[in-house]
Amino acid sequence: MSSLLGFIFLVLSVLLSFITIASEIYRKLEFKNFLIISRASTISILFSFLCLVYAFIISDFSNYNVFQNSHSDKPLIYKIAGAWGNHEGSILLWICTISLYGFFFSFQLNVEENFKRLTLAIQHTLYIFFSIFVILTSNPFLINSINVNQGLGLNPILQDPALAIHPPLLYFGYVGYSLVFSFAIAVLLKKNTNNHWVPIIKKWSLISWTFLTSGIALGSYWAYYELGWGGWWFWDPVENISLMPWIAGLALVHSLFMARGERILKKWIIFLSILCFSLSIFGTFLVRSGILTSVHSFATDASRGLFILLIFFLITGFGFLVFLIRAPENERPLDLMFINKTSALIINNVLMMIATITILLGTIYPIFIEILTNKRISVGGPYFNSTVIPILLPGFLLMSIAPILSWQSNKIKKTKLYVFSFLLLSIIILAQSYFTNFNTWGFLGILLGTWIIVASIIAIITSHKLVLSFKYLKNINAFIAHIGVGILILGITFSSIFKIENNFFIEEGEEMKLIDNTIIKFEEIKITNESNFQSLRALFLIKKNNKKTANIQAGKNYYFVSKTITTEAGIYHDWLKDIYIVLGNQEDNKWFLKIYINPLVSFIWIGIVIMIFAGIIGVIKK
Amino acid sequence: MKKIIMITPLIALITICSFVLIYILSERNPQKPPSSLINKNIPSFNIYNLYDENKTIKNSDLKNKYTLINFFASWCAPCKVEHHLFFKIKEDNPDLFILGINYKDNEIDAKDYLINEGNPYSFVGIDANGKIGLDFGVFGLPETFLINNKGEIIFKHIGPITEQIIYEQINPLL
Repeated sequence: MSSLLGFIFLVLSVLLSFITIASEIYRKLEFKNFLIISRASTISILFSFLCLVYAFIISDFSNYNVFQNSHSDKPLIYKIAGAWGNHEGSILLWICTISLYGFFFSFQLNVEENFKRLTLAIQHTLYIFFSIFVILTSNPFLINSINVNQGLGLNPILQDPALAIHPPLLYFGYVGYSLVFSFAIAVLLKKNTNNHWVPIIKKWSLISWTFLTSGIALGSYWAYYELGWGGWWFWDPVENISLMPWIAGLALVHSLFMARGERILKKWIIFLSILCFSLSIFGTFLVRSGILTSVHSFATDASRGLFILLIFFLITGFGFLVFLIRAPENERPLDLMFINKTSALIINNVLMMIATITILLGTIYPIFIEILTNKRISVGGPYFNSTVIPILLPGFLLMSIAPILSWQSNKIKKTKLYVFSFLLLSIIILAQSYFTNFNTWGFLGILLGTWIIVASIIAIITSHKLVLSFKYLKNINAFIAHIGVGILILGITFSSIFKIENNFFIEEGEEMKLIDNTIIKFEEIKITNESNFQSLRALFLIKKNNKKTANIQAGKNYYFVSKTITTEAGIYHDWLKDIYIVLGNQEDNKWFLKIYINPLVSFIWIGIVIMIFAGIIGVIKK
Repeated sequence: MKKIIMITPLIALITICSFVLIYILSERNPQKPPSSLINKNIPSFNIYNLYDENKTIKNSDLKNKYTLINFFASWCAPCKVEHHLFFKIKEDNPDLFILGINYKDNEIDAKDYLINEGNPYSFVGIDANGKIGLDFGVFGLPETFLINNKGEIIFKHIGPITEQIIYEQINPLL
């Protein structure tokens, strides 16, 4: 029943969208009614999605999707999350999000009526493309052809609270760019001369970027803490795919800062707006068509791939074509100087674009090679580390001083103070690295990370008087975001370059000695039965200076329904370092153990949280 | 010059799309690498009968006849979907030896399953710990293999078979 209702609401919502578009073309409806129909379409698709969630909650196995991806023994939260833990459900969530962005945009103030109509009509067109895809190839409301009283279960890897929020956050990020795209196309089509649209597009692109950042970070956090993959970034195709719109979106946000008064790089902003959404769809295509092997595998089907490829081609092609024909003219040449704010922002944009293209090349290179030479290769970490990081380094250096540069002149206030602090910092860090464990990348990373933080703090102190108010927070927001990046760089540098790996092969009751007086005791192995899985846990006791500090567990889960085993890493978390234990195989009475010491991982999360915080402040900022 | 820069994104788009299109249409799928077992001899095995522990079957017993091997389990729903088709295959090819291998299952459930769904197999073997499945490269049930009279694997299918597959791919080989 809920499946049928859900499908009816889905179709109804598509019909309402058609009416919205038709009324924009034939101009038959009053603006008020136009908005009502547009919003009704969103409400209808929301109902449709709720029907799917409801089918999952009550374990309605007459729905084929529920049968394939759920099980009545699952805890409620995973039943709900299961609704978007599969291809069909997640694409339904995806189109819901497109519609929701249009819905919220319809309440946006300070937009001309004609402009709003056009933007919403374009947004509804995007929505229709994707909803036809859902109806024809990925319908989550199909009826199960066999009669069963039990489902196949949710992929055990996905049975985690983070699953409930990781995909929705990502989609809010990716799909947010659809609105930015619609808006950009509307700007091109209307050829309007004033620049009122700049702050609006800025707000929406910041919202998308903030969601995307949280989604990516959460995925990373999940992989590190829950999946026990031993790291937080793998240059997996799906990660790269999310990184591309993220970087392009960052370039967009930064170039929108350039848009002050008349000094506007309209063309570039519009181009980036189109690019961000194109990269989002391309990412969706690569993941859902299954042409790249990745940790995020969805059930794949060639017809789905072709369909999304077609949508991608039409939307992106249309976007770039409109851009080609009706590109806005820059009203006035930019004030480019040797080192002022505008030139710094342009260099930053160019670097970000190069980084995006480099990642794109690395990600799709295997496809090109396989077609041209018929060999199957994979491009992994080494390529990306050795290409993307060097490209970003000059950008990081520039970013430490960019916010204090002037718009009109080459002068930097308090140059001497900056030069002096930079030299002092370099000497201290050089000496520190030289006497400990010198590593060029390590040195560069620490220097850049700390320098960004120090320079931003100097800038905050020297140019803004401390007042405890929201206005003050707004003024220093750019510096806060950059401090977040600095902390992130420190976290990345330490946890990747100064990571220590130890292997042990020991019995229960034995002790292992790690660095600086830390002893880990392997206490015992415990096997327990949970409702939907069996867990095997090795218990460890961590002792520091002969004092008991913590108990941690590492082990594996065996899921009965799907007959799969997941690895559960044991992590001892400390502000300065993580001790990460992975339980390997057993031989006789002995167990293989891998113990990593990852320094300063917490800085990664702290840095990202600060960046997200700055993103939120940026959105609220008028 | 300016025009060329403006056209670049479109050219890049068309290049990428055409490569990807060729890729999809050539039906390459990294998730389903071609089985390295095709045209090779079947892995050696010795499997016990579900109903009688004293009866076993080895790969040498499969020489000089065509054999269809189907990995199934009572916990596998897609297996249920394809199950009735084996009766059809049996009807079409009465001489074909159909070996059912019960994969990572328990015996009572397996027997119940064959009572409820019927037993189209000439012999039902048990692979309780999945060791035989491992040798055959099984990674998702159901999987079906066709072996020729020289003991070579000539066809492999992952997932439930359909009537179309029987008519277009299996029957022509027999």
